[in-house]
Amino acid sequence: MTAIAYASPFVPVEWIAAHGLRPLWLRPPAAGGGAEFAAARGVCPYAGAVVDAAETGIDASALVLTTICDQMRFASALIESSGRCPVFLLNVPSTWQTGEARSLYLAELCRLGRFFEKHGGKPPNGAELARVMLAYDRARSALLSAQSTLSARQFAETAAKYRGPLETASPPKPDAPPADGIPLAVLGGPLLEADYEFFDVLQRAGGRVVLDATEGGERTMPRGFDPRKIDADPLRALADAYFNAIPDAFRRPNAALYEWLGRELAARHVRGIVFRRYVWCDLWHAELQRLKRWTALPVLDLDAGADDVAAPNRMQGRFEAFLEMLA
Amino acid sequence: MICAGVDAGSRTAKVVLFDSDSLGVAAAGVVDQGIDQDAVADALFVRLIRENGIDPSQVGPVVGTGYGRKLIRFAQKTITEITCQAAGIRHSVPEARTIIDIGGQDSKYLRLNGNGSVADFAMNDRCAAGTGRFLELLAAQLGVRLDRLGEIAALSRNPAIISSMCAVFAETEIVGLLASGITTADIAAGVLASIATRVAAMSGRNLDGPIVLTGGVALVPGMEAALESILGQPVAVAPRPQITCALGAAILAWKSLNGSPTPTA
Amino acid sequence: MNDRPRKITLDQWDDRHAELRAAGLNEPSYGGPLGRHAAQGDVRLRKLSFDNSPAALRLWNFLLSEEDRLRDCKARGKKLVGAMKDLGTVPVMVYSLPNLAAFYPDGAWWLPCMKENRTDLLKIADSLGIDDSFCPVRAMLGAFVNQKHFPLPGLLTCSVGATCDDFSAIAQRVESLGFPILWWEIPHRRRPDGDEPVVELPGGFTAPETQVAFVRAELERIRRALADYAGEPLTDELLSAGIERANQVRSILGKLRELAYCANPCPMPALEMLIAEMLAIHFCSDHNETVAVLAELRDEVVRRVRAGIGVLADDAVRVFWVNPVADLRVMNLLEDAGGRVCGTEYLFCHALDPIPADLPPMEALARMALADPMVGSPRDRTGRIVADIRRFGAEALVVSRIPGASHCAWEAAAIGEAVRAQLDIPMIDIEVPSLADAMRPTLRTRLEALLETARTRRR
Repeated sequence: MTAIAYASPFVPVEWIAAHGLRPLWLRPPAAGGGAEFAAARGVCPYAGAVVDAAETGIDASALVLTTICDQMRFASALIESSGRCPVFLLNVPSTWQTGEARSLYLAELCRLGRFFEKHGGKPPNGAELARVMLAYDRARSALLSAQSTLSARQFAETAAKYRGPLETASPPKPDAPPADGIPLAVLGGPLLEADYEFFDVLQRAGGRVVLDATEGGERTMPRGFDPRKIDADPLRALADAYFNAIPDAFRRPNAALYEWLGRELAARHVRGIVFRRYVWCDLWHAELQRLKRWTALPVLDLDAGADDVAAPNRMQGRFEAFLEMLA
Repeated sequence: MICAGVDAGSRTAKVVLFDSDSLGVAAAGVVDQGIDQDAVADALFVRLIRENGIDPSQVGPVVGTGYGRKLIRFAQKTITEITCQAAGIRHSVPEARTIIDIGGQDSKYLRLNGNGSVADFAMNDRCAAGTGRFLELLAAQLGVRLDRLGEIAALSRNPAIISSMCAVFAETEIVGLLASGITTADIAAGVLASIATRVAAMSGRNLDGPIVLTGGVALVPGMEAALESILGQPVAVAPRPQITCALGAAILAWKSLNGSPTPTA
Repeated sequence: MNDRPRKITLDQWDDRHAELRAAGLNEPSYGGPLGRHAAQGDVRLRKLSFDNSPAALRLWNFLLSEEDRLRDCKARGKKLVGAMKDLGTVPVMVYSLPNLAAFYPDGAWWLPCMKENRTDLLKIADSLGIDDSFCPVRAMLGAFVNQKHFPLPGLLTCSVGATCDDFSAIAQRVESLGFPILWWEIPHRRRPDGDEPVVELPGGFTAPETQVAFVRAELERIRRALADYAGEPLTDELLSAGIERANQVRSILGKLRELAYCANPCPMPALEMLIAEMLAIHFCSDHNETVAVLAELRDEVVRRVRAGIGVLADDAVRVFWVNPVADLRVMNLLEDAGGRVCGTEYLFCHALDPIPADLPPMEALARMALADPMVGSPRDRTGRIVADIRRFGAEALVVSRIPGASHCAWEAAAIGEAVRAQLDIPMIDIEVPSLADAMRPTLRTRLEALLETARTRRR
């Protein structure tokens, strides 16, 4: 089955799968040499790593990126110009209030569908799309229900699997985190595969992640599809669920991110927030002090660079200090 | 009972022996760090006990802190330098609400609650700009002894602007300033202002007073003045700033002995 | 009095100003010696060198009196619109309504330079978490907070979407502090797919018709907001007249650029040309005066070209300059090193192109907005740069990076590669902070090396 790689939660996995293609949620393993060089010049290490991954070859026929940050926009151009990998740049409006913006996103999904067809995809009929949507919806609901029985890393990795083909995403075996860990939220942008280590380090230091609000986590999972909308127009239901409901820093204005966060932090009795960002990611970085003023909870700033794999003590020390503070 | 705090920092190791009867420092020492951090700290620890005539049987718990804390095998417990620094400053400057700690390789900002516990902190351990290492590099480039940097900077009438965020590029800037005929005093003042600006930016400049400066760089005359100028608030240098973190570790060791809850890591 | 064109210092300008006044120089209300601006805090002027023409004096005085003019506008009951980020579209709409004036809050990015950091703007930005890893435009955030540099506008607009993350994040911070913003979307300009209707844009770009329609709808939202704010409808007639006036500015600038960048010897320094080009995007809150200021500058350039006189040596190396500099002094530095600017791409070349006058006005504005070099792919922008380098006959290229500006980190390398591949001219990329004094020897060395390389190729 032809694989389509993608690196943004605003690309609906259901849309890829419904075209008979294998979705591949791109998680570059780690920031490589190119990313380090890029970071030194002011480029987000994650975007640099996506370029590195595309240059070295990904196991997919094409790559889909989105315009939710300028780093990925430029990354897309760089990958396209190298000719190594066909790339599709999906326009995701930053504004969300207007019917025009919603229509633009829907039109972009249609354009993406035509791109899939060029890469071997078959346009789904409404019933097929609805079936795939409901299957993913059930899988995500099951994952969210099981969240308390999973370690943070398990949750993050399973969430990543559920952004791929469902057939190969077996449910995780429960591996409950220590019940006495301090309940924490992790908020921020995307993670490299190597960065998932930080969930373990955080847990070992005494934390318990009850809300994974990183780009690959719960924050960006579309909530239950409206069955009536699915029946009437599944593609519109899909577009609405993704475009209207995912709170993110890039939205203008981005008040919905704080509204969502406020609800979830209270519901889960979170005691501290780990704010995870890449250096040179302006969109998230700019939210740090605002978050600190907005919330009464302590916030740990965890800035990640291209060289962090080589400096695990830095992260560990911060976690320990943060948890000592919360103890 | 003597309780000990060992701060295994990136540039130096510090040991404080805290007398739980007098609630004061019985002995303290600082040595340059080495490859075997445990051995360096252990040697200092043993020397302080011997030189101060302390009966080894009276030495109780030892808490290790600092970047190398996990390497201190003779410490029964490790606590991060954030918590220890807060405890140390709480002891020596009880009214402090903000701590700025500029060490050899990193800088930190801590905001304290009214009870001296940590309410918020931020760290720059990513680049040398804003650290003692940066200061050393640039002082060397200016041909100025570190302990005279503040004195020379005080003569400045028009502090130079060091704009680079990177220590390496800042060195290039200093070469440029020297070549342009800018005075050493103006460059020295610019260097201190640059560090103060970095630290202030890290803290978000939202600092409650009193503000206390600690860490090795607090020993550089003029640093507190540069911070005061940037922050627009008085900044006091902590007593014996190099050892406040180790002192905090020793105090936390004593509190653990008393059954007071102490954070563990 | 010696009227030979030359570059002079601020002190020399003040002496010259006295001489010109004595000789009967007639100045507008904002005229006067340039030294007064330095005395009022724009101390960077003391380190710059200026063109010695009365036209340049007027240009500088016009620019440096913008804060006074904005306050005066407000005092006279004119309504102010802060038009952020879009670099040339919304101001055209604003000036179509007689009781509105637009200004460019982003312009605050030059304040740390002009005031040599003797301002609290960056400290305020730091305190709000916008540190120096962001573009110097973060000074704008400080200006909103301290309210010392422009009066608060009654309406703030900001384009988002395919814009810089730096700016978008800073503008969001502005809004979160209680300054409501009317956001409008400018999507990433993409190549039309095979079967899509295509629209030609100014500057030689194309876009799918659907994208133009989308931007038109976004601008309709702006139109309604402006009409509500002004209390009168913004009709197509008013807009067409506004476009005509904007094109008047663009036409003068087009002529000015053609002459200043092509004539030999160079008739106008790079610094004055940079200031003149910037007027195209904001009109310094007075459209009519912008026309008058630029027309006088153009006439002076025409006079010099006809007389075969200029401000730089005949053999100055012709350099194409990409991106505006955060420190204005660097434009002087290039000329001191023996170069001259013979073409620019300061991120808003779309605001220098005529707005199509044969289209319905909203359609024309939408096409113009989508022609912004920053909203398309770097390939598009590079293509235009390469074409302009050829057009102006540049011998060398300088790509000036803005510290913290995320697009620069990606684009400098891409532009360099394209130029190397398509043109046989030397290039350098340099980073210019708001105050580049400490970098001056390094920058001068690099610029001199570039110019020497270009000269060697002449032989």
